[in-house]
Amino acid sequence: MKFFSSFRKRSPWVLHYNAGSCNGCDIEILAALAPKYDLERFGVINTGNPKQSDIFLVTGPVTYRSRERLVELYSQIPEPKVVVAVGSCTATGGVFRGMYNVEDGIDRYIPVDVYVPGCASSPQLIIDAVARALEILETKSKEIEKPFKLFGAIETIHNRLSRLNMAAKVGQNEKN
Amino acid sequence: MKKTIQIPLGSQHISLLEPIRFKFECENEKIIGVDADVGFVHRGVELACTRSFEFKQVGYVVARVCGLCAITHTLSYTLAAEKLLGYEANDRIKYLRMLMVELDRIHSHMLCLAHTAENAGFEALFMQIMGDRELIMEVQEAISGNRIQFDYISIGGVNRDLTSELSALIRKNLGLLAEKIDTLIGLFDNNWSLSLRYKGVGVLSLEDAYTYNALGPLARAAGLATDVRAETSDFPYEEIGYKMILESTGDIHARNFVRLREIVNSIEICRNIIENLPVGEIQEKAKGKPNGEAVIRVEAPRGELFYLVRGSGQNMLDRVRIKTPTFSAIPAMMEVFKGSEYADAPAILASFDPCMSCTAK
Repeated sequence: MKFFSSFRKRSPWVLHYNAGSCNGCDIEILAALAPKYDLERFGVINTGNPKQSDIFLVTGPVTYRSRERLVELYSQIPEPKVVVAVGSCTATGGVFRGMYNVEDGIDRYIPVDVYVPGCASSPQLIIDAVARALEILETKSKEIEKPFKLFGAIETIHNRLSRLNMAAKVGQNEKN
Repeated sequence: MKKTIQIPLGSQHISLLEPIRFKFECENEKIIGVDADVGFVHRGVELACTRSFEFKQVGYVVARVCGLCAITHTLSYTLAAEKLLGYEANDRIKYLRMLMVELDRIHSHMLCLAHTAENAGFEALFMQIMGDRELIMEVQEAISGNRIQFDYISIGGVNRDLTSELSALIRKNLGLLAEKIDTLIGLFDNNWSLSLRYKGVGVLSLEDAYTYNALGPLARAAGLATDVRAETSDFPYEEIGYKMILESTGDIHARNFVRLREIVNSIEICRNIIENLPVGEIQEKAKGKPNGEAVIRVEAPRGELFYLVRGSGQNMLDRVRIKTPTFSAIPAMMEVFKGSEYADAPAILASFDPCMSCTAK
């Protein structure tokens, strides 16, 4: 599918999800998309739909209630996809590490390709991360990537991974 | 009997910066009932302030409750802690703190205006306001060293001084911004397509604002005169040209106008602070351990921010209670949604300027 990959390189669409951050990195992502920093000159558009996205920008340490939504969104993005963890707390938990409702970083749940440091990370770093993510996106294949911490058997339909109820399994196992 | 349908909005949606879920009960296009779920980003900051951090560090931890009004959180906690330590800051520290809070208010209000424009379908205006906002971000970075989470205030003073080059930069950027705000005021007032989306939409009456405990720009747009800056005497706001901004119609247009005119007022306050900055130390020793209970109210960009701090002479605090403006404004928000069109819901929501990470902590 060389035909599509050339388009994907010129216009990667971004999905942004706040998994419990303080808003600092979210408004820096907005500032990076806006004039002065202008991430949109690379063809990046902020879309709300996971099924049209290529790059997944996540901010915040994963809170107890947001993790199912995080895994669900991740599994709905079609391959190839790249995950960018924006901010210190997304990488390690940062200042929130050890708080009772926080899961210390998103890489416990989904595989991360690019980490962006900083509290709050600056728009320059976010642009750098997206440019790096584009390079990684080119090397990735259509092979299906699985989120971590998926307990129980993974269902397949027609020899392909089923995307249905991916996240529900995270919660189900916790109850048992 | 008419049939009603339920339409969910969130928890992840293009018009939302942060996770919040609404369940709208709709009758055709009209919203007749709303249910909101705000707890997606609860982290447990209040407990961590008393368990894992010492009282000198807590000021920087509570800043991470919210990225937009981080400085107001630090300021409220610091004032409460200083009250317990029996320390009173000198005039220069007070003025520098006020300067940062007002700069923060300007950039927060501009983000809200940009977001309201985007959710009303005016993408170009969103880009324009976000571009203008960079003038303030530049100033904040020059003063404090960081664009968003500037840990500028600490117990006993502020962390950096204002040099004469910085004052020149602030004067220059505020001058540029003042012109741009003037054009924005004209645009928000006269643009025909914006007036269709804003005027008469999402009306909160004065009685409702009073009954449902609205605060901040939401209440002032409805004509309810409430502003912590005028009610408390922690800072000398009267002598640097603070004016209470009131509108009367209570719709989205009025809320936008309260924000725009508050930006103009804040620019004037910042200029006055720089012109009349007193001399003195920027960092003084505040000795001792917090003992007793202190309550502080500070006007955040969204309304009254309330802090209760209790200590018993130990390094660790006993209790830190944070009551944020968005949390108090939720009942008023729910009331506004009822009776409006579903298509206006994102614009109405953005005009409240809700801050979920504040609310859930």
